[in-house]
Amino acid sequence: MSAQKDCEFLVKRARELVSDDPCAAKAWLITARTLYPADFNIQYEMYIIERNAERTSAAGMRVYDMFINFPDQPIVWREISVITAALRSDSQDKHAQFLRGLFETLPGRVQCEMLLKATEQCFNTLEKAEMLLLLLKRFPESVVQHGVNLGETLLEAEVSENVETPVNCFRKLFVCDVLPLVINNMDMRLPASLLQKYMLKAAEFYIGYVTRGPSPDVQIQASQDGGSLKSPSMSRGSQRYVIDGLSEKSSMVAEPWERLLDILAVIGARCEWQGDKGQRSYVDMLQRVKELCRYLPGLEGDTRARCCSQVVICAALVLFRSAFLYVSAVQPSLFQGVNALSLGPWILVEDLCSVYSDAELERGALKHGHKKRKLADGREKTMSSDDEEGLGKGRGRHILVNKTEMPSWSETLESFRVARDSWDLLHSHDGLETEFKKICASWKTDSWLWFRIFLTDMIIYQGQYHKALSSLHQMAAVHQSQLGQQSPSGPASLEHHRALIQQASCHYALGEYRMACEKLLDVVGGLVPPVQEPTKMPEDQGRVKTRTRKGNDLRLLPCTSKAVLPFCLQLMLACFKLRAFTDNRDDLSLGHVVVLLQYDWPQGEMLFLKAVDKICQQGSFQYENFFNYVTNIDMLEEFAYLRTPEGGRIQLELLPNQGMLIKHHTVTRGITKGVKEDFRLAMERQVSRCGENLLSVLHRFCINEKIIIIQSLP
Amino acid sequence: MGDIRLSLLPRDVLSAAKELLYHLDIYICNLVQSGMQPPQVDAKTLELVEEFILHAPKDRNAPVRRMSALQELQLLEIMCSCFQEQSRDTVRQLMFSALFSLQGDQADESRMSLLGKLVSMAVAVGRVPILECAATWLQRTHRVYCVRLAQVLVDDYCSMVPGSVPTLQNIHSASPRFCCQFITAVTTLYDLTSEELTPPLELLQMIVSWIQDDPRLVLITFLNSPLSGNQPISSLDVTPLGGLVRWCVKAPLAYMREKQLALTNGSTESEPEAGTLFSALHLSVLQVFMLLPNILNEKGLFGRLALLQMESLAALTSDLSRLLDQADKHTHTSSTGTHALSQLALDRLAQALQVAMANGALLCSREDLRAICSRLPHNNLLQLVLSGPVMYYNNIHTPPLAFSPHAAHSPIASHPAHTPHTPLATHPSPHPQYPTQSYMTGMPFPFRPSH
Repeated sequence: MSAQKDCEFLVKRARELVSDDPCAAKAWLITARTLYPADFNIQYEMYIIERNAERTSAAGMRVYDMFINFPDQPIVWREISVITAALRSDSQDKHAQFLRGLFETLPGRVQCEMLLKATEQCFNTLEKAEMLLLLLKRFPESVVQHGVNLGETLLEAEVSENVETPVNCFRKLFVCDVLPLVINNMDMRLPASLLQKYMLKAAEFYIGYVTRGPSPDVQIQASQDGGSLKSPSMSRGSQRYVIDGLSEKSSMVAEPWERLLDILAVIGARCEWQGDKGQRSYVDMLQRVKELCRYLPGLEGDTRARCCSQVVICAALVLFRSAFLYVSAVQPSLFQGVNALSLGPWILVEDLCSVYSDAELERGALKHGHKKRKLADGREKTMSSDDEEGLGKGRGRHILVNKTEMPSWSETLESFRVARDSWDLLHSHDGLETEFKKICASWKTDSWLWFRIFLTDMIIYQGQYHKALSSLHQMAAVHQSQLGQQSPSGPASLEHHRALIQQASCHYALGEYRMACEKLLDVVGGLVPPVQEPTKMPEDQGRVKTRTRKGNDLRLLPCTSKAVLPFCLQLMLACFKLRAFTDNRDDLSLGHVVVLLQYDWPQGEMLFLKAVDKICQQGSFQYENFFNYVTNIDMLEEFAYLRTPEGGRIQLELLPNQGMLIKHHTVTRGITKGVKEDFRLAMERQVSRCGENLLSVLHRFCINEKIIIIQSLP
Repeated sequence: MGDIRLSLLPRDVLSAAKELLYHLDIYICNLVQSGMQPPQVDAKTLELVEEFILHAPKDRNAPVRRMSALQELQLLEIMCSCFQEQSRDTVRQLMFSALFSLQGDQADESRMSLLGKLVSMAVAVGRVPILECAATWLQRTHRVYCVRLAQVLVDDYCSMVPGSVPTLQNIHSASPRFCCQFITAVTTLYDLTSEELTPPLELLQMIVSWIQDDPRLVLITFLNSPLSGNQPISSLDVTPLGGLVRWCVKAPLAYMREKQLALTNGSTESEPEAGTLFSALHLSVLQVFMLLPNILNEKGLFGRLALLQMESLAALTSDLSRLLDQADKHTHTSSTGTHALSQLALDRLAQALQVAMANGALLCSREDLRAICSRLPHNNLLQLVLSGPVMYYNNIHTPPLAFSPHAAHSPIASHPAHTPHTPLATHPSPHPQYPTQSYMTGMPFPFRPSH
């Protein structure tokens, strides 16, 4: 009889008994253990009984015994890895909770050893890191020994595993779990350069996390919903986000900006930054580094370098946060988890509320500018001092926005301002700019679509329209490549419109009317005119007041058919207005102006009268599309009147091919009578069209006359 | 203090007893203060107690003074508050022993009677100081009287008034020392030799729940005794372990007997429940044994103090042997149920012996065990325990604990006929249904090469 046979016999008896009389089974095993204290199977069986009964402390004691007595048993390691897996998981199931409770009953020293050994046995970097993290969290004294190594391992893993984005499982563990332990451990002295490197790693992660795009399934849903972004399924969907390799729960990062600020505060203190006390908010921080900047030229050596780093890091974080806040209001669909309740997107364009005002008075100076520019056209692309005259507008431009449609308008505009301020600060010294560019290069901010949107809007605000246009072209390219993988319709086309409208607005601001109209007509071609006439917005009342502003204001325009079509019409009007009222006769432009003035009648009444004056001066007017697109009764009456003797017997050629008819009829007497008859009939027919949907008429005008419209601009 | 007798005589029984208690309290306080070592209550005072509290006749001529039931109740209440209000432990102990230490005289019966009522009352109203004094009393008094006191409590709380068990249950938290002594007394009282001496189920449940809640409870008296060896002879064991082992080992057979009785009477009540309870109790006892090495080492007593006595184990095994004989005779047809219960008893015996020995509660050699178990029928585990573990240990996962030069001579090789786990032996057996332990047959016992 061998000992092994004895042990097998004892364990077998215990197993036979366990279901009917667990106490007896345990009594057998206790006896067996005193007979053969070195037999593993007996102790393992004891553990199994307690584990299956989920008796936490008893099972914990058995694990403890096995860990102490049989540290080399593979089965023990299997059990320990099951327990540590439960610790890492966030599963709420009963058995996982039991295993976690079991671990808690173990003495700290054993927990520590167990985690360390389990870590050694792990081959997967992520699991290994999670395991070590459990250790560091429980035993702060182990942070000194393992903290930095773990951090570096994670950062190396990012490289070796070729992850595509800073928002990956390794970085998440590093930034959210390891870094706080390391920087808050007062027993560790880390060099400032390392701390700053870690700071930037954290910032890159949090910014990447906040600005992550919606996950593909959400986007499909959104396009199916046709933009009804308020549906609850949508907001639930936007919560779903999983970092590859992590569970849904551990993929969640609460209050990312706040946590980034926390890390910044600690690192700032450890790097002995100036005035790091009470860095409560990003705005305070910008104020502080602004003040610090004033001393920068007087500093030298290490002090200067430290000061530079502080200014650049702080200002960059303020910049990216504010830019994000701005873009998340203007382009909410770009981001996951951003409340998309506000209607987006919004387009920053030239404000056109002065379009109906008297042209020469206000536009004269600018128009003059164009002429100069036109002469310099050949050199335009190589000009470095691009938009010289625009620079004057860079300060104190107003941005108008419909306050009811964008309730958060003041925060949005404030974010835009703070972001511009930070940008300016970062470019106020060469040293700062170099540092900042390094950060941008390492983060590849060039590829951040959202940030480019901000930059473009900022350049537009500064009046650097050429730069803005090239940025918009680049962005369209980036966008197009991104959209390649996504659905071609839905929000995507809206994005496309957004870029075109902004381009049109820039071209207009540069005086490139033909380009502006080309872009606009492309947009209008893709629009469906609203079925009903738009009811007048409260904004329209405000216009009376704003009319007195100078013509260099900007406007945030909602990117919807309802808002875009009127804007396009106004912008076209603005383009033609100048041509129509020059001293040279340009009936086509004048005709277009008349057609376009119908919209928002009687806002344009004054301009219409001016047009009528011009026609009277000319004594004749030829515009063959008149009866196709003019349905405004006031205008029709005015034109009818112009033909009368009282009106001055103006010769109006408003019917298609009428000119030829007249020439033909002059040969034969009495033919004019027929022409008169045609005109009268056309007028009568036109009056009956007065009830037609004006926007449909104007939409048709844009589409049918696209070529003529573009050709009529130089 | 003798001079107060004259003032007590004219009083009525209750006020005289009251007055005496009052003076006794003062007297003992002075005694303790005087610093006399050891403080000794004089014989005169003890006489007064017998005369005025216990009402033992001083001489044949004196009139017998008796108390009415109401007066007795009032006296008990006075005593209760007297102990409750006395804050000094020594005074209380001296007073308790002046009142209740057995003197070997006529008054002892009155003492026991009054003590029983006082302790029962203290349990009912939760008078901890009295329970603590009673615990000490249970340590110093002859076991016969301890058992009588326990009997009173079991009668009062488990038999007489249904539903009063929870009151008794509370003594576990009120006075663990008393509770421990109570368990020892109860296990001494109920030795499972007859139906009368089988513990009531309520009592059993209570004891199981106490020990399961806190296994160290059974060691309280032992842990609190300053040194072993100064226990008065014939007092209770220092722990109830011996008694509990006896319960668990004999229970399967005792309840088998009960079951047979019940079958003839046509009722089968609570048998499976008792089985489960004893199984749990047995496990608890083993777990208490497992606690011992640390405790004994702390006290420097490991290997020097046996908590289980060989003599009582010998008595147990011979009892068991007799019971198994009886079981054989009573069951004419060999029922598997009887066989299983007999094996269960032997399993438990083997487990208790092994675990007790391994943990220093039992100080003897396996040879000694074989001697006391010689008359028992065969049981695989017992055989294994009596032979001891195979010292050459060749578990594939762990290195051998010790190298044995005799490893080559495994018992199988040298004694192929006597493998301990073969249920059927080839020898003629005194128990026809069970193979006997092989070493009974006059052949040398095939125990394994040890060391």
